[in-house]
Amino acid sequence: MVPQELIDGWLVTLMMGARIVFPILLVMTLGYWLQRKLQRADGSSVLTPNRRVMPLWYRRIMGELNALPAWLPTIGVLTAVGVTAMIFRLWVGLGASTNLNQAYPWGLWIGFDLFMVAFSGGAFTLATLVYVLQMHRFHAAIRPTVLTGLLGYTSVLVILLMDLGRWDRFYHFVIFPNINSALFEVSWCILLYTTVLITEFSPVIMQRFGWHRAMKIMQKITIPIVITGATLSTLHQSSLGTLFVIMTERLHPLWYTPLIPALFFVTSLAAGLAMVVAGATVSYWVFKRSLPQRLVGDLASFLPWILGIYLVLKFGELLGTGEIGLVWSSGYYSVLFITEILLTAVIPIAWFMSKTARASRMLSLVGAGIVLSGIFLNRFNAAWFALKPVEGYTYFPSIPEILIQMGVICGIIFVYTLVGHYLPLFEGTTKRGEEEEKRLAEPAPAPEAIQPGKAYHTS
Amino acid sequence: MALTRRGFLKACGASVAALGVGAKFAPPALEPGTRSVPKSPQKTNGVLIDTTKCVGCKQCQIACQKSKNLPADPKQVTLCAVSPSVVELRNISADPAKPEIKPIKRQCMNCVEPSCVSACTVGALQKTPEGPVIYDSNRCIGCRYCMYACPFGVPTFEWEKQFSLISKCDQCAERTQAGKLPACVEACPAKALTYGDRKELLTIANQRIYDGKGKYVEHIYGENEIGGTTMLYLASVPFEKLGFPTLPNEAPAEINATIMHSTPTVALGMAMALSGMYWLIRRRDELEAQPAYNHNEEGGH
Repeated sequence: MVPQELIDGWLVTLMMGARIVFPILLVMTLGYWLQRKLQRADGSSVLTPNRRVMPLWYRRIMGELNALPAWLPTIGVLTAVGVTAMIFRLWVGLGASTNLNQAYPWGLWIGFDLFMVAFSGGAFTLATLVYVLQMHRFHAAIRPTVLTGLLGYTSVLVILLMDLGRWDRFYHFVIFPNINSALFEVSWCILLYTTVLITEFSPVIMQRFGWHRAMKIMQKITIPIVITGATLSTLHQSSLGTLFVIMTERLHPLWYTPLIPALFFVTSLAAGLAMVVAGATVSYWVFKRSLPQRLVGDLASFLPWILGIYLVLKFGELLGTGEIGLVWSSGYYSVLFITEILLTAVIPIAWFMSKTARASRMLSLVGAGIVLSGIFLNRFNAAWFALKPVEGYTYFPSIPEILIQMGVICGIIFVYTLVGHYLPLFEGTTKRGEEEEKRLAEPAPAPEAIQPGKAYHTS
Repeated sequence: MALTRRGFLKACGASVAALGVGAKFAPPALEPGTRSVPKSPQKTNGVLIDTTKCVGCKQCQIACQKSKNLPADPKQVTLCAVSPSVVELRNISADPAKPEIKPIKRQCMNCVEPSCVSACTVGALQKTPEGPVIYDSNRCIGCRYCMYACPFGVPTFEWEKQFSLISKCDQCAERTQAGKLPACVEACPAKALTYGDRKELLTIANQRIYDGKGKYVEHIYGENEIGGTTMLYLASVPFEKLGFPTLPNEAPAEINATIMHSTPTVALGMAMALSGMYWLIRRRDELEAQPAYNHNEEGGH
């Protein structure tokens, strides 16, 4: 017999889900419609006219633009809408532009920041695997992953700036430290780690412009930079969890635990790897270049282990504190919790234990998507859904909040596509089609030989 | 081999040096005496609020607003940026037909171990040894973490402004330092508010409970809650009924401090572990790549 509370919980969650899913569908439909409107019969965008009457420089620029994906102008327009909404928010203040209030002073933006940092955790996870644990076979995925991380962290910084009441004083955390504050540690680490990511990404730019001496220097300092980056990531990925340690009275006991920093760190490893796995398939479609699926499958095979550790920690804590009963008896919160655990850990563990799933690009993408959606829900639960209600207050993001959020996400896609188009981002990756040819050429995979300095791995 | 070791040491040194850039590992520049949280305060001032004496006249609210140069607005019923202290009217009757209204003065509790002071990113909120939790509006960046950290939901935000800050009661730190009473205590016509040393206030409160012979519930709200507060409450009905949150005696600020203070250990441990792993794997690869070594391995055993 299903308890009545659980049924009520499902209803409330469904209602809430509808309020979130419906606007997203609406925006996607609008975007699709806009893209169709902006497209000529030959697939080029109307925003990029290629008329012979135009001067040569104009035709050259337009020629460049026409070589880019046809959906890019749409993404650009949505980014511009987001930037406009940002200016509006900075102009009128937080009260007039957002639905944040006394009981929900943080909302959509902080939830996004928490998720985005975990998502960008792929950069440090992969860099550690490749440079520290010296699994050089994954090397080709480093550049796209570091770029995703860099853009992710930049978007987090932009959103944080929007979220500050006195955004003009953003530098205060540098000059007025409070060592007891988790948010202070997070701010410092994010700032330093963004610098690390810029350094890690700089060889791409150096290579594009042929600065070979600078590249040599970069190669020498790669290892210390990567170790610094991984250490900073360990600190702030866990400190984002520490943010909630002080919220004893606000966060529901199913989520509240002094262990939350460790849980955040472990899930950030999983989110990072899932990001690399999903990214490999997406870049296979969009840029027609990617890691061979065999290596993507290798990366995915780490996921069941990490998520297994997460499950043990999470349920160990619930059993230890005797809160395990709450899993079934908390109504709305139970539904959130069960959905979250299923998506984050239970389904993906089973999914990625299957060889078939790891061998298929499509199935790997879906599996990684399930992990990411679970961790997305986990971060939003901590920041918004699983907060105990306060009488007289509700929160649902306002239109400017959603537009800014959408603009930032579109901005990431926009910049990423441009970088992928103009910079040597996919160096060392396999071209679409090559993978199959190679497999046909050498039917029996050669046993992995030990080669000095490269191509040797430990797993 | 020697080169490898030197490379490893270099890598370690550089990592640690790069980490050292973070100011968190350097002792922060603090004004002496302001940041420390007194664990068992020797002498901390506070206010005893006897809700049974309160008549709900809102003189405290008006006096507070005047002392903070805010427009006097007795109609304000919830804590907000223009009213750091309010008198809330709470219905304690379960029967909607016969409401029983109790006036409750609400303001910052000025905790002994305040969560907001731990949370504040820029140290704009600080605990003074005299008792008040003070707020430096010149530091605040408006991140609103204190609003989540506070178990009483006290700090409020200036939502309506273009550039918004936090606002909260600071137990009239400036007035009390000048030897005056807090504005609300001075204004109360019903003598429901008493200002003084927290220990003495607890004695007075216990005396009143004893003398009242059942008039009061045997609970001084704020004596132990969340590590103790300097604003203490007496009431004639259980505090849950009056809408006061039921809180544990442990201060979350302490758990937070334990975790935050382990940061340098975690950082150093992680950096050393990663450097060590790098060195080990590389050295093993190098040894295995040497033909002589391999020969020994295979031939010798």
